[in-house]
Amino acid sequence: MRRSVPGFVVIIISGFYLLLCSCLEVACVDETEAYVKANFYSYSDGQMIIPDSLTLYGINMESDKIYNKAIITPPVLLPLRDSTYYSTFIIIINGVTDTLEFRYWSYPHLVTKECGYTFYHHIDTVYHTKNAIDSISKTDENVTTINGENFRIYY
Amino acid sequence: MERISGYIISALLGLICFTVRANAQDTVQFPMKIRFGIEAAGSAKYFYEKDRVNFEGYFNIDLSEKYSFVFIAGRSDYSYARYRDTSFLMYDYRTKGTYFRTGFDVNLLKPEKSQGKYSVSVGIRYGLSHFTYEIPTITHKNYWGKYHTSVSSTDEWAHFFEFTPGVRAEITKNLSLGWAVSIRKIIDAGTGQHLKPVYLPGYGNGSKSFSPGISYYIIWSIPFKTKRIIILPEEEEEDEGDLQQNPGDSTPDGFRQ
Repeated sequence: MRRSVPGFVVIIISGFYLLLCSCLEVACVDETEAYVKANFYSYSDGQMIIPDSLTLYGINMESDKIYNKAIITPPVLLPLRDSTYYSTFIIIINGVTDTLEFRYWSYPHLVTKECGYTFYHHIDTVYHTKNAIDSISKTDENVTTINGENFRIYY
Repeated sequence: MERISGYIISALLGLICFTVRANAQDTVQFPMKIRFGIEAAGSAKYFYEKDRVNFEGYFNIDLSEKYSFVFIAGRSDYSYARYRDTSFLMYDYRTKGTYFRTGFDVNLLKPEKSQGKYSVSVGIRYGLSHFTYEIPTITHKNYWGKYHTSVSSTDEWAHFFEFTPGVRAEITKNLSLGWAVSIRKIIDAGTGQHLKPVYLPGYGNGSKSFSPGISYYIIWSIPFKTKRIIILPEEEEEDEGDLQQNPGDSTPDGFRQ
């Protein structure tokens, strides 16, 4: 006579299968960089206006440009230095050069277990020269991985 | 007169017989039990995942044939290192702590099927975790280069809820095996929103609002009381239904026309 396996034994053993499936790791799919996000506006009428040409690089890092005579898709992304409380950039808008400096404090932030930690920043002050740039206004002083405008650059 | 008294005596005897029969069929002697157990999955995982040690004890006491009180206590020691490639250590995380989960299980099986041996249950628990964590290495690389920092050892408390369906079956006298899947919801990780725990003892991945899990238990049961449960007889609706469905199909003597 054929004996059937009790349903409870099947259920108990199936738990082992679930146990094995619970050990899988997944890849990082989230944004891991917190950039300062800035948009360009006309100082005369306040309308958003994209420069014809933009060059941007960190001070003393001329050989490693973030944007090089680029036509940008807004916003422009500026990475901040984690190890200091300030970052200085050279910005060339339509061939006119300015210097831009952010003062801030940084703190680590866990993105996910898979992506690890990034650094978020809280901007205190921004300094700039006034060759092409007229003024800069702060819209959000918290620099995170979330999309959103931090500064408006009027030129 | 004799005939009437004969009918009465017969009716009384019949009633007594029916009552005795009803008691024999519709009563279940349900063993109420205290259960002690260990969670086996955490210990088993140690053999192939040396950076995680987890010991968990299980206590359960029947409050009725349906409800039971559950208390779980455990200890976790966990370390984790995440690399981008073999040479770039993104971070190194270490935590250890004690946790407790307490709540109730509801057995969905009827007492006559459960017999105190089997359980298909859903449970809800409150969890409390007391842990220390440290992050000896955090490396972040961007346009400006690599930057290393660390977070020193910190002591925290975390709270969470758990919803846990599971099954349990007695395999030999008083020895049961069972497993439960868990969905845990963090209430407060205790570490603030920026340094959420990579691993929270008793909870799992603390960077997530919800954490799934599975536990596998080996349980020793001790009966402490037998509860007599009267089972209400089910109405025999099926026969009536059959007759209503085919009222003219059969002749009174049972033959088809």
